[in-house]
Amino acid sequence: MGKPRVAFFDFACCEGCQLQVANMGEDLLAVLGAIDVVEFREVMSEKGEYDIAIIEGSITTSRDVERIKKIRQKAKVLMAYGSCATIGGVNGMKNNFELDHIRRYVYKDAAKYFETIPTRAVHQVVPVDYFVNGCPIYIPEFVKALKCALIGIPYKVPDHAVCVECKLNENECLYDKGLTCLGPVTKAGCNSWCVNHNNICYGCRGMVTNPAENGARDILEKYKIPMPWVENKMNMYNKVREHDEKEEAHGKKC
Amino acid sequence: MNHYMVLKKKDFNAFIEKLSKKMKVAAPVRKGVKNFAFEEVTRGDAISRVSLPTILPPKKYFMPQRETIQTFDRAVPRWNSVVSENDAIVIFGVHTCDLSGIQFLNAVMGTPPKDANYLARKANITVIGLECNDYCDAYASCKAMKTHLPSGGYDLFFTDIGDAFMVQTGSAAGETLAQETGFFTTADTGEQKKLGNIRKKKEKIFKDEISVKYANLRTVFEKTVQSEVWEDIGSRCVACGNCTNVCPTCYCFDIQDEIDLNLRTGRRVRVWDGCQNEEFAKVAGGENFRRKRGQRQRHRYMRKFAYPMEKYGTYACTGCGRCTRTCMAKISLKETIHALGEEAKS
Repeated sequence: MGKPRVAFFDFACCEGCQLQVANMGEDLLAVLGAIDVVEFREVMSEKGEYDIAIIEGSITTSRDVERIKKIRQKAKVLMAYGSCATIGGVNGMKNNFELDHIRRYVYKDAAKYFETIPTRAVHQVVPVDYFVNGCPIYIPEFVKALKCALIGIPYKVPDHAVCVECKLNENECLYDKGLTCLGPVTKAGCNSWCVNHNNICYGCRGMVTNPAENGARDILEKYKIPMPWVENKMNMYNKVREHDEKEEAHGKKC
Repeated sequence: MNHYMVLKKKDFNAFIEKLSKKMKVAAPVRKGVKNFAFEEVTRGDAISRVSLPTILPPKKYFMPQRETIQTFDRAVPRWNSVVSENDAIVIFGVHTCDLSGIQFLNAVMGTPPKDANYLARKANITVIGLECNDYCDAYASCKAMKTHLPSGGYDLFFTDIGDAFMVQTGSAAGETLAQETGFFTTADTGEQKKLGNIRKKKEKIFKDEISVKYANLRTVFEKTVQSEVWEDIGSRCVACGNCTNVCPTCYCFDIQDEIDLNLRTGRRVRVWDGCQNEEFAKVAGGENFRRKRGQRQRHRYMRKFAYPMEKYGTYACTGCGRCTRTCMAKISLKETIHALGEEAKS
C-alpha cells in the first residue's frame, strides 16, 4: 500500500495552523516521508483524491456546510485541527451578536453579498475522527495525533486541566503573580506552552468536559476577579460550546 | 558513622563549587515571586537556604515527570527495558518533611514488585538534608506529622548554627563525600551545644498544628468516609490536580506508548498521573468510578492517612503543606482534618 494521501482544507480561520505545519522544521521532512500531501494551500495548490482530510477553520456559511459534508464523504479519516475547527475558536465571538447586525457591522453596504450562519465547530456539522485543539496547534501534539491516524488508533485529547502539565513543568502559578489564567478549566495537551513563556492561558483548547462551576466561582471571589470579565475571556475561544448538545458526548469522542 | 562534623559558612560556596565540578548538584533556588524549585546549581550563593517547600518535591529526581521505560520495534516481538542512564547527583537542602517523603517512596518502590527505574536512580542520588530552625509558613504541619526533626533518609544532614553548619552523617557515602571535599572538621563541644540549643528552641516553636492526635488520624478518616465534609470539598475543588502533583508521596503514573513517524519503532513512557484528574478512574465505555470531585479528594486523603497505615505502617503525609499552599480553591489540609476530627467525636 502506498503512502496515505493527505489533504489540508481551510474554512473560517487565519491559516495559522497550516503555517505551524509548514514551519515545523526538521520534523516536517519525517512527516512528508510518512504521508503524501495532495492539497495544501499555504505551500501548494492541487486538487485530487485523498484518504485523510485535515480541516482548519470553523463552519460559518451554508456553503461551508455543503463543502465540509462533501469532504467528509470523500475522506476515510477526518481530522479537525486548531481552535476554529475543534471548538469554534475566536470565530465564535460572532455568536454573541444578532447575525444581521454583525453582518452589517463587518461588511457595511456589501452585507447582502455575504450570507452567514452561526459559527460552528466541525464536529457540530459532520463526525470528526481526530481532534487537535489549540490556537495555534501545538506541533508535537499534531504529530502525535497524525501518527495515531496513520496507524489507525484513536488519539485522545487530555481531559484534565492545563495546570497538570504546568505543574509538571514546575512553572510558578500565574495566580501567585496576580494574573488570571484559564489553565484550571482548560484542556491540557499543549504542555502548558503559553505559561512556559510567561503568558496566561487563554483557554484556546476548550474547557474540560466536567468543569467545576461552583469551584471556579469560589476562586474568582477569592482573587476578586469579576465574573463578567472572566466570561468574556472564556467566550473569546469557547462561545461555540453552546452548540454542543451534550458536553460529555463531545468529551467521549475526543 | 553517624557522628557530627562542622562546615564553616565561609567555606560553603567553595564546598558547593567543588561538589558541582564532580557531579550534578541540585538545590532550592528562588523561582518567580513567591516560589522555589530544585534546580541544578554550581555556586553556593545561588541556593536559597531558607525557603518554602519547593513547587515540586525532590521526588522528581527519583521518578521524573516523564520517563522512557521501554522501547520497541514492531518488526521484533520484544520489549526492551530501559533503565535510564543517569548521572550521579547530589540533592542539597532537602528539608525534613521531604526526607520523610523520600523515605516513604523508598518503601513503596522497594517493596516487590520493585520499581527498577526508581531504584536505579536512587542508587546514584546523594541526599543532603537541611534543618528548618523555624516554620516555613502557617501551612506546614510537620510537628503533627512528626517530621520536623531529622530521622534518617539522608547521607548528610546540615543544621545552621550561626557561623557554621553542624553536619550529621547518615551513610558511609555521605561521610566519604564530605571527607573528599576537605572542608569538614570534627565538631567541638561548643558547637554541639549550639545544636542542642537550636533543638530546644524548636521544641518551643513547633507545636501540633492540627487538632487530631497523630495516633488517632487513621481512625478519624475511617470513621468519616460518609461525611458531608467531602461534599463540601468536592463543591470547591476544580480538579486542577495541583495537590497530587506537588505531593512528596504521590507516585501514581500513566503509561503511554509513542511510535515514531516510521510507524515501526517507538517507546513506552511513564508520565505522572493523579487521582484528581478527570480520566484517572475512567475506564473503557466511559464509566468513571470517581466522577465526583469529592470522591476523588476523599481518595487522596485516604491514601495519606488510612491505606498506607494498613500497608506500610506509616502515614503518607509529610506535613510539608504543599497541597494547601498550591490549592486553587484554598482547600486546607489542616481545616479538613479539624472538621473530620470534630465529626468523629460525635
